Amino acid sequence: MVERNPWLTFVCYLILAVGAAIVCVPLYLSFVAGSLDYVRLQQAPFPLLPGDNFWANITEAWQKADFSRLYLNSLIVTLGIVAGKILISLMAAFAITYFRFPFRMTMFWLIFISMMLPIEARIIPTYEAIADVGGPLRDLFAATGLTGLIHTVTGYRLEMAMNWNLINSYPGLILPLIASASATFLFRQFFMTVPDELLEAAKLDNAGPVRFFFDILLPLSRSNVAALAVILFIGNWNQYLWPMLFTTTPDMRTVILGLRSLVPGPDQPPAWNLSMAAAFFVMLPPALVVIFLQRAMTRGVVDGDK
Amino acid sequence: MKRFAPLSLGVALAALTALPASAQDRVQIEWWYAVNGRLGDLAQEIITRFNASQDQYEVVGTYKGNYEESMAAMVAAYRVGQQPTILMAAERGFMTMLNSGAVVPVNQLMAAQGYDVDWDDFIAPVAGFYVVDGEPAALPFNSSTPILWYNADQFRAAGFDGPADTWQELEQQLYTLKAQGISECPMVLNGDFQWGMLENYSAINDMPWGTKANGFDGLDTEFVYNTTGVVDQATRMGKWMEDGVLHLAGEGMNPQQMYIAETCATLIASTAGHAGVEQGAQFDWSATYLPHEAGITPKNSTIGGGALWVVNGKSDAEYAGAAAFLNFVSSPELQSWWSGETGYVPVTNTAYETMRDAGYFEAHPTREIAILQLSRGTPSDNSRGFRFGNHNQATAILVEEMQAIWTGQKTAQQALDSAVARGNDILRQYERIHAGR
Amino acid sequence: MLAAKSGSTITGGAPSRPFSALWARIMRAQQNAAVNGLKTTHFRKPGVAFWLLAPQALILLFFFYIPAYKALSLAFVETDPFGLSVIFVGFDNFTRLFASPAYRASAVLSLVFTLVQSVLTLGLATALAFATDRVVRGQAFFKGVILLPYAIAPVASGTIFAFMFNPNVGPMAHMLHAMGLPWNPAMRPLDAQVLVVMAAVWNHLCYDYIFLVAALLSVPRSLMEAAALDGAGAVKRFFTVSLPIIMPTFFFLMIMNLIYGLFDTFGLIETMTRGGPAAATNTLVYKVYQDGFVQLDLGSSAAQSVVLMGIAMAFTILQFRAVERRVNYTG
Repeated sequence: MVERNPWLTFVCYLILAVGAAIVCVPLYLSFVAGSLDYVRLQQAPFPLLPGDNFWANITEAWQKADFSRLYLNSLIVTLGIVAGKILISLMAAFAITYFRFPFRMTMFWLIFISMMLPIEARIIPTYEAIADVGGPLRDLFAATGLTGLIHTVTGYRLEMAMNWNLINSYPGLILPLIASASATFLFRQFFMTVPDELLEAAKLDNAGPVRFFFDILLPLSRSNVAALAVILFIGNWNQYLWPMLFTTTPDMRTVILGLRSLVPGPDQPPAWNLSMAAAFFVMLPPALVVIFLQRAMTRGVVDGDK
Repeated sequence: MKRFAPLSLGVALAALTALPASAQDRVQIEWWYAVNGRLGDLAQEIITRFNASQDQYEVVGTYKGNYEESMAAMVAAYRVGQQPTILMAAERGFMTMLNSGAVVPVNQLMAAQGYDVDWDDFIAPVAGFYVVDGEPAALPFNSSTPILWYNADQFRAAGFDGPADTWQELEQQLYTLKAQGISECPMVLNGDFQWGMLENYSAINDMPWGTKANGFDGLDTEFVYNTTGVVDQATRMGKWMEDGVLHLAGEGMNPQQMYIAETCATLIASTAGHAGVEQGAQFDWSATYLPHEAGITPKNSTIGGGALWVVNGKSDAEYAGAAAFLNFVSSPELQSWWSGETGYVPVTNTAYETMRDAGYFEAHPTREIAILQLSRGTPSDNSRGFRFGNHNQATAILVEEMQAIWTGQKTAQQALDSAVARGNDILRQYERIHAGR
Repeated sequence: MLAAKSGSTITGGAPSRPFSALWARIMRAQQNAAVNGLKTTHFRKPGVAFWLLAPQALILLFFFYIPAYKALSLAFVETDPFGLSVIFVGFDNFTRLFASPAYRASAVLSLVFTLVQSVLTLGLATALAFATDRVVRGQAFFKGVILLPYAIAPVASGTIFAFMFNPNVGPMAHMLHAMGLPWNPAMRPLDAQVLVVMAAVWNHLCYDYIFLVAALLSVPRSLMEAAALDGAGAVKRFFTVSLPIIMPTFFFLMIMNLIYGLFDTFGLIETMTRGGPAAATNTLVYKVYQDGFVQLDLGSSAAQSVVLMGIAMAFTILQFRAVERRVNYTG
């Protein structure tokens, strides 16, 4: 820094130490709780050092909520959301910033209005949308009289072919979470800062949109894509309300739901040792991401605003 | 660009084909139930037994949370055509299920599938609640009623033979237990306390909970429990809470376990608690009738617990399986086994008599309290049960308002006035929607 | 406009060459954005643009616009849970909602909770970011540790806090009891509210912290040195030099905190208090879920959804502006 000031430096370390303690104490206490057996957990005083039941608790919690299956589900769903969202966002942002076409601003606003409208605000209709994706199409075809026409002409029952229920399926868990424009917004912001000279040069080389996208824009976006992937991974691994609503069978649940099922509620035995142990392996993948991909993540959070 | 469209299409297709598929030879019957812990294990055992008893059907049982949660799950599933074939719903959800247009009345189902069920064999308090216009709407299965559980060792230590019959005397006993240092927690509040300590209080003391015979005589019923002795009972609960005589288990603590662990001396909870208490209690535990007000002749308590509802919109094969399963669970053998293991009331007279004749109740006297309490005296309009539309909602409001008493925000009268006003809104809304049904 | 002002402060009217080049680029991009967000050089191939936009548009249509439309239409009817009879009631659901003391209490609660949580988070994060900016040794370590909760799901944070402060078995609750405090979030509304705020601050602190650390890094050294030469101490420099420059970030974070507090605390509440006791932690979003999905009062829940959508829209616009402003500045 600019000048030396030992006293201020001391205060700064003190602040940081307090901050680190605020973060670490809950984590440590939950680790200790996760290492105790059921009986010891309920006795005061709470021990300062961990017990020796950590692995036993981990194993029991793992089996109790069938985490092998849940981990697989979480991985598929999370990676699906990350890949899907980045893909469609890149495409849409590219279209919005680099193309002139009719209704461009209308599309722009249609996408961006959806940006921060939280899904919590439309729980039940979205649930029904997932359960019956074809519903609106059926209504449309029925309203236009197309259904009857096709049926009389070909004998084909259109409305039967449009029964797509995505409850308890991976697409049902993935698609609605892709439906937010925050990533599109990020890429749009980034594309805006890409120098115009690059496209001018590409055009001089007779490069079309596809070549420009893959040869120039995508390589430039690489670090943004990486950062966004990290952030989306963490955010979606930790999703709760959505998977809770969209799964009705135990083997389609995600790890967060598994953890939730181990949290003792009223009228349930206080097996906090199991839920604390489970919290550890549920938190592990995003925690590893934070620890090892911190640079990418920090960049993404700060630039990506999501 | 050309590369993109096929790629995203491919992703979508791959994802769509990953839909879980189940190919089973047997017809699968989905049953959603609302009991867990020891009771959940026993429900699974019934399924295992049924599945082993024949090779046409396979019942798949899923615990869907408590009664409210499984009802909500069922409604959500029904709206999108994912409903189970059989649902265990509580007495609280009776009207919601009955008027839903989403159920197949069990007697119609059984008759259509060629089963001859002797509906007259169901014990009176159970039949009295579940039979509408002479037709049973659901199959009573895990029927229960709240009783007073107590720690006989601790009562003896305080110089009592057992809990007193009236609330006034019981109050003194509980305060004595506390004052003498015998129990820090003379009574623990159960999760569904409104059922044991308010609704059944109202019934046993012959007070109206609502007009129109508690909803039996029409949808234009109104709650009136803010004008009866229930207010005094709520006041009493608030006072006990403040004096540390009545304790709240709270999140992550099981009231029954606090009783089993001898932390708390008494507990008002379902007779189905036998399953857990018999398994876990290491002291001289016992149970008795719910207390009543001094100077009155107590009425019967009301039926609670679950019944099995058959949901419409399923295939004939599934209904055949459902009927076979219902026939299986209502057989006297299974009923007496289930009642014996769980503490639920035997729902048919045959099952009850089988148990009585085998001397079961002499060996396990607390097992008979529920059925005797349920059939005590002649039922009045106030004690037949509660048939209110959307009763889950009104109950959630009542619980919330009761909490406002012991958090010191409201007096008992204010809290119940508010609960009644809000509850009546729900009844009116229900009446509007179901007019003409 | 804020950007322009701080820009001139920073450079003192005599920008160094690389900086002014960057500045010009940003300004040009901004002007484009202000006009229509289209590159001055662009393609004119509507067909290609159509296919590029199609996936996003379809997903938004099916999983955003149609559900939002349904929520809107459900708000004007009364229906039984099974959806078999539906009565049009106009604005009844809304008048009922606004007349309901329970709903108003929930709105006030959400507002207070969100504000308290935002201010605490931001204050704490500022102190930590300031300290991080000053220290040299151990900086990476502290950054790493303080960022850790970013990885932790609200459900997991809620579980941890619910346990620590559980009046029966929780070590922190034991400590509070030993200090003579009657801590019990199941019985005392204020305790439950404090618990939710603590967990929310703990869970969200890292977010504000990352932004503030980055923003402080972007404060030009030359400016700090100039202020130091004028005799300003570190704390004074923070308030007179750094703070005005990071103000857009502050504004942005405030809005993000409000959004977090209003909408993203569902998992915390569900694991810790379930809206109780006596509705003491029944925030608007938790209430929508409870009334709609648990209590099956679909009409009222839909009306609540519409109100929430309105609030969210307002925040979206605010956030949009905050982002533009921040991007404006940091480039």
